[in-house]
Formats: sequence, structure tokens, C-alpha cells
Amino acid sequence: MDIHLYLMCYRTEALVASQLEAEEFGSYMAVGTRKKTFGNVLFFEIDPTFRSTELHLEQVEAKCKPHPDGTPRRSKYMSLYRVMERIPLPAYGKLYLTTRDGRVLALDGRNFDDEQNTGGPFMYAELCPLTSRLVSHLSPKAFCQRITNPATTVYVPRIFFADTQIELDSDGHLAGYLPYANPSHIEDCLREVEERPDKLGKTVDRNPPLVAFYRTIASGFYLGDSTGIKFYSYPDVASLDADHHEWWRSASMG
Amino acid sequence: MDSVGRPLPGWWHVTWICAVIALLSAACFYRWIMAQSEGNARMQEIAQYVRDGAYAYLRRQYRVVAIFFVVVSALLAIMSFGLEVQHRLVPFAFLTGGFFSGLAGFFGMKTATSASARTAEGASHSLDQGLKIAFRAGSVMGLTVVGLAMLDISLWFLYLYKFHHQIFGGEPMSLESITVVMLCFGMGASSQALFARVGGGIYTKAADVGADLVGKVEAGIPEDDPRNPATIADNVGDNVGDVAGMGADLYESYAGSILATMALGVAAVSFGGMPEGFDNAFSAQLAFLSAPMVLASVGILLSLAGIFLVTTKEGASMKELMWALNKGIWGSSALVVVVASVVIPMLLPASIAWGVVAAITIGLVVGLIIGYGTEYYTSAEYQPTRGIADQAVSGTGPLIIDGIAVGLMSAWIPITAVCIGMLVSFGMCHGFENLAMGLYGVGMASVGMLSTLGITLATDAYGPIADNAGGNAEMAGLPKQVRERTDALDSLGNTTAAVGKGFAIGSAALTSLALLAAYIEEVRVGIHREAVAVYQVEEGAGYNAVDLGFGKYGLYLASADGSHHENYTISTFRSTADHAVDVVVDGKPVSMIVNHLGSSVRQASDDSLIAQLIATTPAGLFDFMDYYDITLMNPKVLVGVFSGVLMVFVFGAMTMKAVGRAAMAMVMEVRRQFREMPGIMEGTTTPDYARCVAISTAGAQREMIRPSLLAVLAPVLIGLLLGVAGVMGLLVGGLCAGFAMAVFMANAGGAWDNAKKLIETGQHGGKGSDAHKSAVVGDTVGDPFKDTTGPSLNILIKLMNMVSIVFAGLVVKFAPEIASFLGMGQ
Repeated sequence: MDIHLYLMCYRTEALVASQLEAEEFGSYMAVGTRKKTFGNVLFFEIDPTFRSTELHLEQVEAKCKPHPDGTPRRSKYMSLYRVMERIPLPAYGKLYLTTRDGRVLALDGRNFDDEQNTGGPFMYAELCPLTSRLVSHLSPKAFCQRITNPATTVYVPRIFFADTQIELDSDGHLAGYLPYANPSHIEDCLREVEERPDKLGKTVDRNPPLVAFYRTIASGFYLGDSTGIKFYSYPDVASLDADHHEWWRSASMG
Repeated sequence: MDSVGRPLPGWWHVTWICAVIALLSAACFYRWIMAQSEGNARMQEIAQYVRDGAYAYLRRQYRVVAIFFVVVSALLAIMSFGLEVQHRLVPFAFLTGGFFSGLAGFFGMKTATSASARTAEGASHSLDQGLKIAFRAGSVMGLTVVGLAMLDISLWFLYLYKFHHQIFGGEPMSLESITVVMLCFGMGASSQALFARVGGGIYTKAADVGADLVGKVEAGIPEDDPRNPATIADNVGDNVGDVAGMGADLYESYAGSILATMALGVAAVSFGGMPEGFDNAFSAQLAFLSAPMVLASVGILLSLAGIFLVTTKEGASMKELMWALNKGIWGSSALVVVVASVVIPMLLPASIAWGVVAAITIGLVVGLIIGYGTEYYTSAEYQPTRGIADQAVSGTGPLIIDGIAVGLMSAWIPITAVCIGMLVSFGMCHGFENLAMGLYGVGMASVGMLSTLGITLATDAYGPIADNAGGNAEMAGLPKQVRERTDALDSLGNTTAAVGKGFAIGSAALTSLALLAAYIEEVRVGIHREAVAVYQVEEGAGYNAVDLGFGKYGLYLASADGSHHENYTISTFRSTADHAVDVVVDGKPVSMIVNHLGSSVRQASDDSLIAQLIATTPAGLFDFMDYYDITLMNPKVLVGVFSGVLMVFVFGAMTMKAVGRAAMAMVMEVRRQFREMPGIMEGTTTPDYARCVAISTAGAQREMIRPSLLAVLAPVLIGLLLGVAGVMGLLVGGLCAGFAMAVFMANAGGAWDNAKKLIETGQHGGKGSDAHKSAVVGDTVGDPFKDTTGPSLNILIKLMNMVSIVFAGLVVKFAPEIASFLGMGQ
């Protein structure tokens, strides 16, 4: 049985070896062998040939063996804490989004170097290692470079975040379908960063519950640092409903 | 009148022919539906799961109901043959009412469970094809209910009118006796309806809450996902609650309104005086008896015409779909008015006919107003429900408060409509001059309201069929276009189901006034029968009287030519110490002195102080009110009123508690399956759907018994303890509180449900948002409101009426004894 490497990257940051395929692994992590509520799970597939002694991967073959009854090893935690920053960007494969009931959607990643600044402002949901929600007029690329810039006093080595929707209606209020808990506060934050160009970002919520998270995603997910960015484009709702109907129904549950 | 001289009236043939046409049409629709494709193997498999579950439920329910019917029939037989307090046919009438009501529910559900997959498959071809299959399946239900009810009424009338005296000898039954015996089959229908509604309501909500709480909230599984063990039970619940339950419920309303109005028609001639245009009382009674039967029969044909008007085009919007159904309902209603304008003047004299036509029109209008009032308060298109959704943003508390407020406020439309309809139909039939005719008018209004039941019930039954079709499409993974079509059909079904519930409640309220008056008819017959039972004919004696106690007398009067003996039994409501009485024999006053020792003498007297004995047959309603002291100053009446109100609350509490307990059992089972059956969530193991169905079934059967027994026993116990006055109070209290409470619960529940659905379309954050979580709580609270307790209350109202009617003889005979023993007067 092949050994796969998966990087859990929301709430729990961990490198996990498994003999399950990505869809099976996502389902297993979400619901277990029996139903347990863990909530949404996001994880990357890591190049299975990637090895690192720092992350104890030289032991992976020895540790990730089938069970005595021949069933595959579902999860073997190889490393915890500050893992994401230690895996080189080229080793990151697909990003898997798992719903609470174990449906898995795979997103392909690509190197991202275009500005694609559609004007902003933006609202980002930081997923790893930070977990804040903030608004900024920085584009995803600029934001990623800014937050991972070692030259600044406040930075992280690498960031994984999602670009989330801030669709406004004709009255300037957040669109009614967006499931954010305190829309008027978000509107205030947006106004503040628009009125003060010198303010690069404004924290909306330090540790928000990601309610109906998959319904809030805008352009997609970004993983990067000062050396480069990987972008995982998120399909639009029509494509999700048509091509990934089961996943989208589960994702819409919140 | 002897049997040879009693030919069947020509209009009777209209009734059975229309009933047969309805049943044949239902059979044709059924065959047409069954000829449609049920889709692919997966669709058939899912449909089979639902069918199996529905039949498993029905089998078990019918077992419990059969035991109940055997026990009650035995009791009724004792009352009929042992105590002789009611007609000997009552136990049989009770059984046929229950049988036909159950049969209507069974056929409806058989069709509905066969139609869901076919509707989904039809929707894969076109929206119109999906609508046609779902609606025709609903029509099978509608036509079966009206067809069986009318056939039951028609055959009973034939037997009692034509054959009973030929088979068993004796005089031909009077029309009074015929109508009150037939009225008793309403109790069978009501009992069946109560079990179907309460049991179905508990079942469906136990399954729904179990599926939602564990499946959706805990496991995050979407609606109609085959991994949820309770999802099949949930789909079964839609059928057993909203199809079989609704069918049995409206069967009872339909038959009850016709039978009660027939009884009122006969009574109106008896105590309201002979109307112009007739040369004898019998032909007048027969004419008034015929009108509700003929109107309902013609309504069947016009409903059938309306059913064929329901079509739509591809890509129809919600409004266009609604219009497709409305043109069927409105078309039938308009045709009923037109046809009634022609038929009723042929049956009734002009002096009353146009008033009756007006009452029929009013009944139809009241039905439509109640239906659309319900739609206003429960549809997400309108402010009340949108307001509840707005409150969801503030949290669960405000949402619950606003839902309750909307439900409470929503009662004004149906209550006002029924009140105005009652007063106007009463007035249009000259009720303010002739009470009996006024009540007949109100009865005809209720028959008018239900005359288009064939099509209105079709729109009700359409709802769960479309809902199940959506579930089938989702579980079978049908393409997006098909799901969009079934979603559109389902959304329409939600509205029609809410409208149908409002209609059922409204018809129950309007019918109840007729049943209330019909109760007095049973009291009249009860007193008469009591006297007949104790009377001993003394050969050669011209006049004999038996003191029945409590101011009632049985009097025997020989016929004028002495050729045969006629038990002309009367009772006194007011008597002086010397028991001087004035009775009417064959329309002529006869004065006599009752000597209180079993004999009496004819005596001409001009003494104005001599009190009158009032014969029960021509006695007016006010005479009964007077005798039983049915006034608000009588504490027995007030205690009865309070008891009626209390019944509504206790019954409501019991049914809601029952849902809680049954749902808890379902929650535990779903959790157990997730825990013990690895692979369910991955989709590699099929959940044990049958176990969930069995748990919900067992829970529903166990839990429905206590509230049902309460509904049956309370009127009897109150009657024996507080007498006729107490029963009248009980019925009035139950009617007023039950009607308002039923409207409140159904509309609050419907509004919460649609507020949640509105949020799910993307308002206030959409699915998964905090507002949605609040709305889900509101919907969970509202589920037993709208699908268990609310709809059951209208049957409670009617069943209490029916039980009172059937047990009237027992109450008339024994209540005074008990009251006397307890020192509470008579």
C-alpha cells in the first residue's frame, strides 16, 4: 500500500502519513470510523517522495504500516506544530476541502505571481498559522508578501489564507447571503481601511468561528511566503452545484 | 308510509353515480400513474424503501385501530342492544365510517408512495409532466375520499330508507331516524381520522426531528441524503402524516358536514315548520335532506373538471405554478356556484333556495379566504414570515417570539371569515326569523366549502408527493435540471400543504356548528328512544303514560282508526304538579291529564294554567335549551366550556410530549447506527432504514393511544357528570379554543418553516449562518405545532362532537340519575 503524506492546516497543524487515498483520508479525518463531529477539515497532499529528518519523515516507512489484520494505516502523525513552514512550496500538491460529513473536494494549485488586484478591499480568513479574519486593501499577493516579510517586526514565515467574499448590495451593506456573524462590524472595518490608505489591514475578528466557511470563499486559497505563492482557485457556485453537487450540498450546511 | 309506497327519490341516483364516477376516475388516474416509468433502479429502490415503510406503518396502525374499533363497537352494541339507548345500527354505522375512512387513507398513501419516483422521472422530461403526475396522484386521494364518503352515505341512505324495514320488519324508518343513524358513522370516521392524524403526526415529526437533529445538526448531513438512517422514515412520515392523515381527516369533515346538514334539514322541517311549496312534511324533509347530498355529488364532478384544468408550461415560475393549481380550484368553485344556482331551486322552494345558494357561495368564499389567509401568514412571499426571518438575525428568542405573535395574529382571518360566513349564511336562510332554517343554511355553507374537496384535497396531497419526489431525485443523484424542477414542485407543495391545513381547520369549525345542532337532534332521538324502551303498551288503553323521571314522560297514543299501534312518545319539559299536558297528535292539539300512574285521559280544557308537554319530535332547539337549562348562568355549562378549553390544552400538550418522546427514541437509534455501523458516513454501508421506520412506527402507535382515549372518553364522562348542558359547554369550549389554537399552531409552525426556507435561499446569511441556526430552532419548535398538534386539534373538535352525538342516548338516560345522586339537580 502506498504511503501518502498529508498536511493538516487548520486548527491542528500536523503532518500525517496515511495509507488512505486523499478522499478516504479526508472522510476519515472528518467523521472517523464512526461518526464524530470534528468540523471542516482542510489539508494538503504533500509530495510522497518528500523527506525531512526535521519532520521525522525518515521513519515514515517504519511507522506507517498496515494494521496486523491487513487494513491500511489511516493516520500516523509524523510531526506537529510549525510544520507548514518547513515543507518547501514545490512539495505541496492538491488542497482538499472536507465537509463536516466527510465529502471531499480537491483543488489544484498553481504558482501565483500575477497581481490580479481587482481593486479591493479584501477580506482574508487566515487559516494557518494565524486564525484571524481581517480586511485589507492589499491584494492577495501583496498581503502574502507583507505578512511574511522578515523585514517587518510582525510576520510569520509562511501563511495559508483564504480570500473571502465581501459582496456589497446597492445600499453599501454586505450582501444578505453572506453568513458573517456581525456584518455591520465588517462594514465598519471596510470603511476604515478605505478611508485610511495608510492602514494596511484591520482585524475583524481574532479567532472567528468559520461558519458556513465554504460558502464565503471568493477567489480561492493562498499559500505562500516571501519566496512565492501557490494559489488554489475556487470554483464558482454554479460549477460547484453542477459538477460537485454532493460536496456543495454538504458544504452549504455550514 | 309503507315500503311499497316509498320509492327511492330520483336524486338519490345522482349521489351513487357521482360517487362511482369519482372512484372510477381515481382508478383511471391510478392506472395512468402506474403506467408511467418509475425511473432507474436507484429511484425504484428508494421508492420501494418508502413504500415498505409506509405499509409497515399502516399495518401496525390498523392493528391498533382494529382493537379500538372492536372494543368501541362492543360498547356501542351493549348500549344499543342491552341498554337500548341508541339505534341498533349505530355499531355498524360506526364500523363502516371507520372502514371507509381508513380505506381512503390507504388508497391515498398507496398512490402517493407509488407516485413520488414517477414524479421525479416525469420531471426529468418536463416540468408539466412532473406536475401532472404529482397532481393526478393527489387527485386519486381527493377523488377516493369524496367517492368513498359519498358512496358510504348513498348506500346507507338506500339501506335505511328502502330495505331496513323490509328485512327486519316494522315501520319504515323516519327521516329523522335515518339521518341520526347515519350521523353516527361520523364517529367511526372521526376515530379513524384521529388515529391517522395523531399517529401520523407523531410519526412524521419523530422521524423528522430525529433525522434533523442527528443527521443534519450533529453529522452535518444534508437533507435527503441516503447516509442518514432516518431519511427514509422522514419520507415515509410525509406520506403517513400529510397524505393518510389528511385524507382521513377531510373524509370525516366531508361526510360529517353532509350528514349533519341532512339531519338539520330534516329537523328544520320538524321543528321549524313546513316551508311553503310542500304539501306534506315528509316531502319537505326529503327535499331538505337531498340538497347537501346532491350538492356534494355535483361538486365531485366539478372537482373532476377542475383537475383537468391543472397544467403548466416548461420553465414556469412559482406564480405560474401556483396559478396552474388555482385555476383548477377557482374553476371548480365558480362552477359549483353556477350549478348550485340551477340545481338547488329544483330541489327547494324558491323562498329558501336562493338563500341556500348564497350560503353555498359564502361557504366556498370562506374556504378560499381561509386558504389564502393561511398562505399570507405562512408564505415567505409576504411580510409576516419575512418579519420572522428578520428577527432571526437578532437570535432565537426574538424569532420564537415573533413566530408566536404571527401565529396568534393569523387567527383573525379564519375566525373572522367563519364568523361572518356563519352569520351571513344564517341570515340568508332567514335564520333570524326561523332558527332551524338558519342552522340549515350554516350547514349548507359548510357543505359548499367542502363541495370542491375533490380538487382541494388533491392540492393538499400533492405537497408530500412533490416533497418525496424531490427527495428521490436528490438521493438518486438525478441531474441538476431535474432537481430544479422537483424543487419548484416541492416549493409549491409547501404552500399548498399549508393552505390545505388551514382549509381543513376552517371546514372543521364551520362543520362544528352544524354538528352542534345535530347533537341536539341526537338528544331529541335519545329522549324519544328512552321513552320507547320503557314503555309498556296496555292493550285496550287509549292513552298511557310512563313517568321516566326528571320531567320526562313516555306517552302511548293509539292511531285514530285503531288499526295499528303507534308509539308516539313525548316528554315534558315543564310540568305542573297535576301533570296536565297539552300535546299535538297528527298536527292537532290534544289536552290530557297525565295521572302519573301510567295512564292518562283525554280532557278538553281551557285552563290557561295547564302546562304544556312538548313532544320531542316537533320541539324546537330553544325547548331543549330550556329543558336542560343551557344558559351561561348554569355552572354546568360554564364548567363544560372550561373543560372544552382544557381538553384542547391537555390534548395539545400530550401530543407534543409524545413527539418529544418518540423523537428521542429516533435520535438514540440514529446515533446508535452511526456508532455501531462504521461505513455509513463513507457511504460503504447502507443504514438500517427499516429499524428507524419501525422505531418511529412503534413510538407513534404507543404515543397516540393516550390522547386519542382522552378525546373519546372526555365527552362521555363530562356528559354523564354534567349532562347535556355540560356537553354543550364542552363542545363550545372545545370548538372555540380548538379552532383558534389549531390556526395559531398551524400558521406559527408554517411561518417558522418558511422563514427558515427563506433564509436558506440566501437571506440573512443563508445556510449555516447564526440566523439560520435560530431559524432551525424555530422550525424544530414549529414542526409538532404544524404537523402534529395543530392538525389533530380540528379532529379533536369533530371527534368530541361525534362522540357526544353517538353517546347522546346514554347521557340523556343516565346523566340525570348521576346528577341526582350527586345532588347536582338533573
